[in-house]
Amino acid sequence: MAQGDAKIVTDHGQSRWSDLWTKEDYLAIWLGFLIIGVCLIAYFGYGPKEQFAQKIETAQQVQQAEAAKAPFKTIEWYQAEEAMKLKASSTSAFGEFVKHWTSRPGSWKTNPVESLIRTEAQAQAMNEKAMPAYEEAQAAAAAALTAATQAQEAAAAAGFEDPALNEAAEEQIADWRAADKKASSLKGKTTNKPYNHIPTLIGVCIFFIVFFGIGIKMMGKSFGEFAKGFVIVFLVAVLAYMLGAQAISKQYGIGAEAWGILLGMVIANTLGTPRWVLPACQVEFFIKTGLVLLGAEVLFSKIMAIGIPGVFVAWVVTPTVLISTYIFGQAVLKIPSKTLNVVISADMSVCGTSAAIATAAACRAKKEELTLSIGLSLVFTAVMMIAMPAFIKAVGMPEILGGAWMGGTIDATGAVAAAGAFLGEKALYVAATIKMIQNIMIGVTAFCVALYWALKVEQSGEQTRSVGAGEIWHRFPKFVLGFLAASILFSTIDASLGGKMSSALLDQGVVRGGTRLFRGWFFALSFAAIGLSTNFRELAKYFKGGKPLILYACGQSLNLILTLTMAYIMFYLVFPEITARI
Amino acid sequence: MNPHTSEHISLRRRMGKFTIVLGSLLLFVYVFLPLLTETFPALNRMSAYLDENGIDPSRYYYTDVEQVKEAEDYLQSVLKSD
Repeated sequence: MAQGDAKIVTDHGQSRWSDLWTKEDYLAIWLGFLIIGVCLIAYFGYGPKEQFAQKIETAQQVQQAEAAKAPFKTIEWYQAEEAMKLKASSTSAFGEFVKHWTSRPGSWKTNPVESLIRTEAQAQAMNEKAMPAYEEAQAAAAAALTAATQAQEAAAAAGFEDPALNEAAEEQIADWRAADKKASSLKGKTTNKPYNHIPTLIGVCIFFIVFFGIGIKMMGKSFGEFAKGFVIVFLVAVLAYMLGAQAISKQYGIGAEAWGILLGMVIANTLGTPRWVLPACQVEFFIKTGLVLLGAEVLFSKIMAIGIPGVFVAWVVTPTVLISTYIFGQAVLKIPSKTLNVVISADMSVCGTSAAIATAAACRAKKEELTLSIGLSLVFTAVMMIAMPAFIKAVGMPEILGGAWMGGTIDATGAVAAAGAFLGEKALYVAATIKMIQNIMIGVTAFCVALYWALKVEQSGEQTRSVGAGEIWHRFPKFVLGFLAASILFSTIDASLGGKMSSALLDQGVVRGGTRLFRGWFFALSFAAIGLSTNFRELAKYFKGGKPLILYACGQSLNLILTLTMAYIMFYLVFPEITARI
Repeated sequence: MNPHTSEHISLRRRMGKFTIVLGSLLLFVYVFLPLLTETFPALNRMSAYLDENGIDPSRYYYTDVEQVKEAEDYLQSVLKSD
């Protein structure tokens, strides 16, 4: 992405061994893997693996016994299932430590100070306010459990051979599970604790100065200048977290990332970003390090989460739309910037902000192009998140079809969950899962875009000439290899551990209790840095003629048509049995 | 100062511009959008639902959204024998 006057980061000359410790791409890989390594050692070396293994084995034995006993999933089967939902991050000292020291400003409604400080009295008042609803839900869950137990006992008394009694028991168990889920959700609102994030924010700021400062020093830049400017970048990121944590702002999808860009741009284009802050606006360095960490969240086992229909909706339609939109932008709209074209295409077709970041870094797009793509995505997401469930309800579209449609077309995962939940529980499950499968695609997208750029785009025009493998290697953005290496490493560990243990140690430990927390901060810092170094006039130039908007609208229209068609074919014509089971 | 910004503009004027632009943004998000939510019952219901269920539409990756894990567990449970 853009850097300095040249606007584009390009490496000249031949690759050298010293690149390994002096170039930004490699340093991003080493720093990313330093965090990954520490988290892996902490959770796998000192985590509760043995304890978890015992619990999972016991629960699986219960499930096997219950499955052999009854033709439906019994209460005990579900209780065993719940017992296997373990979280290494909340049962290990390392998890608690990392969570505490990487904590971000929390949610608030009317008083922004609440995002930084919550007193004992405030926490108590919140818990007391939520308690009646929780107690009511808890009583309802207890009554539902009693009814389910009675129905199950009746079915058992008939040797589980009476279909009517079995069906009645299944219905009562489903009611109990719904009531129990509601009670669990409300319980979370009665356990608010007091906090003061200010000391930890100071601590994490110092840590990031040292962490990235080492890389800056190794790149031959001034550590002191970086450290001085970083405080401002960090403060903008913290303010962005605060503003994005407000309930209504979140409802419309305006989170910390959007606020980081907006706030930074307002400062840069009105007050003017002080020159001494600019050495800390290391947009590419923050993004590349964050992307290496994001690789840990790209697990290939997720692709089959909803079977073959999900693969077709997310992995056939998505690349088709991406490539078609890119070609449309070049051949019909004649968008001058290929990087802007591909970033918008990936952002719109794959999964919004995360895909935009990965693609922009892979093809070395300018920061204004990334900003524009994310801006378009935010606007369309806010509209689609509200309009799509309303439209689906109005036309009476089945929940599962609607869910698959929204999951494949709305950009941000949170917005997909919101739209899905508004439509119904099953729509939420299908939409969120389709989006998750699409999320996994960003690794492949980033790799293919980086390769295509190294092979084709960067040698087009006047510079067309045949290039050898060495030149291609030289051009290839190396951090993408770190991103893929992290993805392959975590996918391999995930496969070797198996579902439940992987969920407990890897997903709910190393990732959610480690790498993800840092990745969130690194992206927030990069967005603040983008804003602080973006000139509004430069940004406006890219929007000239409204071509990016036309590209997004046309691409999204194609996406809507193809996704709906594919979802209908897959879920209702080819695999109706999967739909019936959902 | 940032080379993009005219250095000859006085600090007072720049502060004025900053206040107006930031103020407009804050007004849009924290006054206009809540009014919009209050005005339309569907948006109001959605807001209450999101708050009640802890769904954050501004999160962009699947690991940031708790409901994805819930969805994955559900589908794994119902499609287990596949």
